[in-house]
Amino acid sequence: MPSKNRINIFALLMTAVLVLTGMAGCAAAPTTQTAPATAVAPVTKGDFIEGDIAGGEAETLNWILAGDASSFGYVGYTLESLISYDNHFNIVLRCLAKDIEVSPDGLVYTITIRPDLKWSDGSQVTSEDYVYTMKNLMFSDWLNYIYKDDWREEVDGKNVFVTPQVADATTFTVTRQTVQPEFIYTLYGLIPYPKYIAVKYEGNVDAFTQAKEFNDLSYTGNLGPYKFKEWLKNDKFVVEKNPDYFLGKENGGAPFFQDYIVKLFGTSAVMQSALEAGDITYCGIEPQNVAKYKSNDKLNVYTVPTTGYGLIAYNERANGWEGLRDKQVRQAISMAIDKDTIVKKIYLGFAEPAYSFIPSSSPWYSDDTVLKLGIAPLNSKDKAMEMLKAAGYQYQTDSGKNILIGKDGKPVKLTLVTSSQGSDTIESLSLLIKQELAAIGIEVEVKWIQWPTLLRQYMMNKVPGSSKEPGYNNGPDAVSENAWDLTLMGHNTDPMAPSGSRVFYASDGGLNSFGFFNSDVDALFKKIRSKDGLNKDDRAKMYGELARLISEEQPVDFITYGRGNRGFQKNVKGIEPGINMGYNYFLWRFE
Amino acid sequence: MSSYIIKRLIYAVIIAWGILTITFILLRVGPSSPVDRYILNIASRGQDVESVKQAIESKYGLNKPIYEQYFDYMGNLLQGKWGWSFSSSQPVLDLIGSHWIYSFQLILLATILAILFGVGLGMLAAVKRNTKIDYAISIFSFIGISLPGFWLGLMLILVFAVQLGMFKTFYDTSYPILSLQNLRQLILPVLTLAIGELAGYVRYTRSAMLDNLRKEFVTTARAKGLPERTVIGKHVLSNAVLPLVTIIMFDLGSVVFGGAYLTEIVFGIPGLGQVSFNAIFSNDYAVVIAVTLIGTFLVLFINLATDIIYTYLDPRIRYD
Repeated sequence: MPSKNRINIFALLMTAVLVLTGMAGCAAAPTTQTAPATAVAPVTKGDFIEGDIAGGEAETLNWILAGDASSFGYVGYTLESLISYDNHFNIVLRCLAKDIEVSPDGLVYTITIRPDLKWSDGSQVTSEDYVYTMKNLMFSDWLNYIYKDDWREEVDGKNVFVTPQVADATTFTVTRQTVQPEFIYTLYGLIPYPKYIAVKYEGNVDAFTQAKEFNDLSYTGNLGPYKFKEWLKNDKFVVEKNPDYFLGKENGGAPFFQDYIVKLFGTSAVMQSALEAGDITYCGIEPQNVAKYKSNDKLNVYTVPTTGYGLIAYNERANGWEGLRDKQVRQAISMAIDKDTIVKKIYLGFAEPAYSFIPSSSPWYSDDTVLKLGIAPLNSKDKAMEMLKAAGYQYQTDSGKNILIGKDGKPVKLTLVTSSQGSDTIESLSLLIKQELAAIGIEVEVKWIQWPTLLRQYMMNKVPGSSKEPGYNNGPDAVSENAWDLTLMGHNTDPMAPSGSRVFYASDGGLNSFGFFNSDVDALFKKIRSKDGLNKDDRAKMYGELARLISEEQPVDFITYGRGNRGFQKNVKGIEPGINMGYNYFLWRFE
Repeated sequence: MSSYIIKRLIYAVIIAWGILTITFILLRVGPSSPVDRYILNIASRGQDVESVKQAIESKYGLNKPIYEQYFDYMGNLLQGKWGWSFSSSQPVLDLIGSHWIYSFQLILLATILAILFGVGLGMLAAVKRNTKIDYAISIFSFIGISLPGFWLGLMLILVFAVQLGMFKTFYDTSYPILSLQNLRQLILPVLTLAIGELAGYVRYTRSAMLDNLRKEFVTTARAKGLPERTVIGKHVLSNAVLPLVTIIMFDLGSVVFGGAYLTEIVFGIPGLGQVSFNAIFSNDYAVVIAVTLIGTFLVLFINLATDIIYTYLDPRIRYD
């Protein structure tokens, strides 16, 4: 499902991880979804078949045990979270009766759910179910919920959980001891387990893991547009229309497909052929095939923005080239790499230049504060060379070629490491960067490395001589096992809560493997996630300042934000193309 | 003979145990870990990577010393417990039990097709040596051997499914295994898998037949006035078939491990190839070991079966 708001995975995932947006909105008042008025009432007919690549197969339908995004995606067909978001990040209420109320001090969140939510046995879904799910399952020691840190805060040097409490059958509160304005986005993704079933397995992780009710989603009642039907691993996941769906009546009997099928393919070539042949209803289209499919009169191809961006990280640690620890040098390198060429030649136009970890689709993005390196007028090889000279480096000429000479008197040679995993795009991009830097006299050796090796030998680091296990950021003195200078990566940002990117750019960020340490950046991240950030206007200013600071510091060269291409059979109606185009998928229909 | 079979079975168990042990150790000491697939997701949510890593390793018992994990695994295996697939949240045996049939039917049909047509065409080419028929069959077999299965599968899909609309572009598990629809949708995958093997058998059969056709006993048989059908069927083919059996059985092993897997990927058939592929990339140790073990036993069984078939085809061969 394209950008369907499944259960929240607020995250910045690396490349190769499916982008499942769970982004919150704040601009407009929340609304409930209703079907657009049509001359003829939609009828339920046909099966919608979504093509996906087998590598994205889900692990489990027992969602609390899942660590992957696909599992949450599958469960999301049968179980709505509290809200969804439209293409403009406006909140659309799902299980919520009204938007979450936040106390003026930013510490207490009051959540009111709809009274008509039912489990499969007909009993009402109550606030007790939500509170039980948090207290007894998500926060428990026995179940090892992977994302429990989302629900913890640091108080007096200790990590403690937030406090959920039942107010009445449909209202509960979650109380924090410290202010974190973006915690609300975590809350929006909350989904419950039925207490009446879960208590039977409480404390027994094996029994809970293998519980039939949780693995066949037979408890989901009227909570989702579809009910679980079949799951053949590595082949297909099938859900069928839920006639009792709580939003069904107010939406003309939605959903309008009899079955919704996720079919997995081994190769994208066959998947796209299946779309062309009419065997499936929807799949992603690769850039090189867009023109062909756009000219196919049986298909609609929509090009939509995404929240994933590519970047080149500069290794500022002791085993990277010393020049990379100089902001001016980093800026010079970024200035030499032409983003327009990357967009046109590598992504065939299906990308936009990136200047910040905040995408332009985010309300927190401020175009006027970021330094637009790599785009004219800040894309100039000559100027880049001048900056390198100003930073204390010299050039020698050999056979008409400029060669940058390091402070040790030797030509500068950098190592770019990346995990291509057979991706033509990454390989082409690596070679283009090599070519761009050669033009400013820097030789680049490209190393394509297997992902686990890249992680362990290049990204993980430790202080030499220390007995501490390698981690992704073991402080400023830590270095990786193997030396590197540049790496190509892909990150993803939550446009509504971009401060999650602190893991990459803050000094104590868990994924700051490239060794960027800046106290001003740390302070801004902290401020945004404190009571100073409660006021949205103030937060917007802080984000603007943070984006400016990071784009000036250039710990990484933000390259491009990708654009996704979604191909549908032409007879699918009700689609609203956009960044979250799947938000109203239960209203889609065949005509 | 029975003592030979028992001895071979004992060897098979020892070899399988050795392979299991090596696989187990390689998986544990390799650079990959089941935690890898979560780690960046977890860290990117601002969580402590190390604590979550420990939680996951503890959940799957990966924090124990390797020897302890090994003895735990072996102990469970001896009780018939193949472990829990953490990439698909079900017992390994259930996972394999629901997928093996898709690989089996593909391999079975492709092998039958390859043997029938490969041997048949090879015989025809030998009998019609240096005629247009022989040349046509030879060209076909050269092309068949040269075509990569992966490419052939994609081309068959493009032509017969996308352009002509004669078949679905992918394998649909909705149809019962024993149904005409299922048989029909297996045509392209079976052709993809069989053509390379078939072409090879044509070459081997032709060559083996020609070798025997030149032998004196064939001349004698013809001189005795035996019908050509009897000469070819009884005297030539029965002598040519022994090396063919070796080749066919050897190929069967490589089909199980290579060709079938690629064909499954191309046509979206959820067989053991797909299961192995996903398990390897998810570092799902229990599944990888189980699939390796099954493959090992299959190859050992095929070797044993080959040896037994020899004794029937050539009465001079005795293992006692």
